[in-house]
Amino acid sequence: MQDSRTLKLLDPFERVFKSFGIDYKIMRKILQVKLTMDGRRVPTIFSQNAKKENKEKNNQYIKSLWIYVLFSLFLIPFVLMGDNYLFQMSLYYGIFTFFVMTSMISDFSSVLLDVRDRNILFPKPVSRKTISTAKMVHVTIYLSFLTIALTGIPLIVGLFKNGLLFFLLAVINIILINLLVVGLTALIYLSILRFFDGEKLKDLINYVQIGLSLMIMVGYQLLIRSFEFIDLTVSFLPSWWQIFIFPMWYGANMEMVLNGSFEPVYLLFSALSLLIPILSIWIYMKFTGTFEQSLQKLTYHGKAKEMKRSKAGQLLLNIICRSPEERAFFRFAGSMMKNERDFKLKAYPSLGFSIVIPFILIINTLREDFAQLSDSKSYLSIYFSLIIIPSIMILLKYSGKYKGAFIYRVAPLKSLKPLFSGTIKAFIFKLYLPVYFILSALFLFIYGSGILPDLIAVFISACLYAVICFIVLKKALPFSESFDDYNQNGNTAIIIGLMLFVALLAGLHFISTFLPYGIYLYLGICSICLVTSWSLAFNVTWEKISKG
Amino acid sequence: MENVILEINNLRKSYGPKSVLNGVSFGVKRGKIIGYIGPNGAGKSTTVKIMLGIEDDYTGQVNIFGRDISNGDIEYKRRIGYVPEIAEVYDNLTGQEYLTFVGELYGLDSSLASNKAKSLMELFGIGEVYHSRIASYSKGMRQKLLIISSLLHDPELLFFDEPINGLDANSVMIFKEIMAQLAEQGKTIFYSSHIMDVVEKISSRIILLHDGRIAADGTFDELKEQNTQGSLEQIFNQLTGFSEHKELGARFVSAVREM
Repeated sequence: MQDSRTLKLLDPFERVFKSFGIDYKIMRKILQVKLTMDGRRVPTIFSQNAKKENKEKNNQYIKSLWIYVLFSLFLIPFVLMGDNYLFQMSLYYGIFTFFVMTSMISDFSSVLLDVRDRNILFPKPVSRKTISTAKMVHVTIYLSFLTIALTGIPLIVGLFKNGLLFFLLAVINIILINLLVVGLTALIYLSILRFFDGEKLKDLINYVQIGLSLMIMVGYQLLIRSFEFIDLTVSFLPSWWQIFIFPMWYGANMEMVLNGSFEPVYLLFSALSLLIPILSIWIYMKFTGTFEQSLQKLTYHGKAKEMKRSKAGQLLLNIICRSPEERAFFRFAGSMMKNERDFKLKAYPSLGFSIVIPFILIINTLREDFAQLSDSKSYLSIYFSLIIIPSIMILLKYSGKYKGAFIYRVAPLKSLKPLFSGTIKAFIFKLYLPVYFILSALFLFIYGSGILPDLIAVFISACLYAVICFIVLKKALPFSESFDDYNQNGNTAIIIGLMLFVALLAGLHFISTFLPYGIYLYLGICSICLVTSWSLAFNVTWEKISKG
Repeated sequence: MENVILEINNLRKSYGPKSVLNGVSFGVKRGKIIGYIGPNGAGKSTTVKIMLGIEDDYTGQVNIFGRDISNGDIEYKRRIGYVPEIAEVYDNLTGQEYLTFVGELYGLDSSLASNKAKSLMELFGIGEVYHSRIASYSKGMRQKLLIISSLLHDPELLFFDEPINGLDANSVMIFKEIMAQLAEQGKTIFYSSHIMDVVEKISSRIILLHDGRIAADGTFDELKEQNTQGSLEQIFNQLTGFSEHKELGARFVSAVREM
């Protein structure tokens, strides 16, 4: 464990802490341990492509901040645009709030919701006040890093462009926003914990994490394009609902002070901008005891509702999977994909991405002429949804609880065929099919029912492609390896190679559309390939399964 | 030095509408090993957690070292060691880091804590993992780590909640010996477990909790006299009013046989 520089920055305030009756030395120890542990954790925003390394000198979190610095560059235009502060700064604060809030929920949740503290620290001779202050300081440290990363460069640019007053005002606003976000997050958790159990909350956090990852993936695509849309002739018409958009409160502050327009609405916004953060922090402080009590709930597992198997689902399953073993693995893989949070965190963002990507491509072509669109063959961009198949197929062999995989070797399995085919079917039906349906529905709406045979052909190709991926990729038992061994970069070459198959399939499809009834020919060939490859691909023996 | 280390008076605690402790009272003298037993959900861990200040919101009085613990003074915790039932540790840390940290929380100098932790780990046969992350430990290693972390600061009063979970037979023997010697030197041990043979052998006094009340309190011999039963296990069954194990076992097996 090393003494971090951050803590040294804290030392001058030793007296302040002591005057509040806090045991500074102990608090420092606790923080030191916490920061060391954080250094060994990989933050969400980073986990997409980082493999845990055993070097520890640098905090992974600090390293991940460069992504935020990058994003902050996109915020610079809002500062430079002009002097319509209400509009541009509201947007600026809005985006800032979005990042802080999501990062708060995805990365700081573990700090706010650490139940281990209770069992480890409470029996020790450390006062509650010291423990809760350590928690607060811990969050504050990270929030400051994040804030500086996100706002540092834009604000310095603003300082040169708009002057010192702008800078100071922005700094105050940002501090207030941070207070608001911390208070709000804690209050949201508090209310969820009061009414639901810990599992619900963990699910919620998981979905926010997924959302954040997706936003960032899509954000890369959109931000670059968004520069063209920015137009500064926006006029402000006050309406009642704007009261709830709190970034506007802070935009109003800027407008008021810098442009000197003291309208009553602005005054109201300004008052709210000051009062609400203080109020929410005050409420949080007031209820912090209740919060700690409710945290205990995180360790309880509430009684979950029993899931009834529907008749129709059962019937469908019997059609999809013939043998009972295959059905068992289908159900097993399905519930693993649905329940495992690590898996969802890695897989779901790319699922969402694959819905968005075809549309981004269509929008690009759409610039020319909308009427042309429905006649064009741009619906083939749906093939881009296939590119997630290999990366998720790779993910299927990992699990956070990979040790449970001993069950495969214990169970009397004659052949591995139902294991693999059941799992792949579960992947296609539970993960890919929803994406496909959403895309198909939207495409049918845009292009009309004429493309129905094409869409069916796409689905068959997707199944065929999944089998091809299975054949090419290294075979391993599903959910049998630790996510720690997961290294996306190592697979990049294979994934790119596999993507060529998508291009091939899409190309053949494209050519077939020029022949009379060509699409049916393509459909037929794909189906035959699928049936043959399906019956051959899964004959894997135990010996073939690579270990480790 | 006080002779009564621990005194509980009419302790009650409930979680919402569910009451867990319904008026528990007892006192414990220095140098005793108290076996604190009871069926699942009887309130054993809750009692221990209240005494350690993990749980509050109780009624009744808890005096430790002659002082009421509800007055907000936490100094008494300095003289207490605790092995929790659920092995929660900061397992991203190495054994060395964690134990040093815990020692420092109890006010030990960091190099002293580190040296002491190292030699205790070596004595307990897990010296080779001293610098490895706790996450990589086996169940038994974790348990040993917890036992060491509860003893680093040479406490006077020890709370052991299922401390021998996952330990092998040899380690259990070492641990029993450690407890006996600690008690001989005037340490008081509060031991709760489901393993009746161990409780029977080591405890100088046994307190049986049932439905949040004390169902029996005394030495093993006293309990035997009162209940005319041979082993602690049988006494336990009798006092908790459980006699259906044969029938339940038979029904379980017949359910297993169904195909």
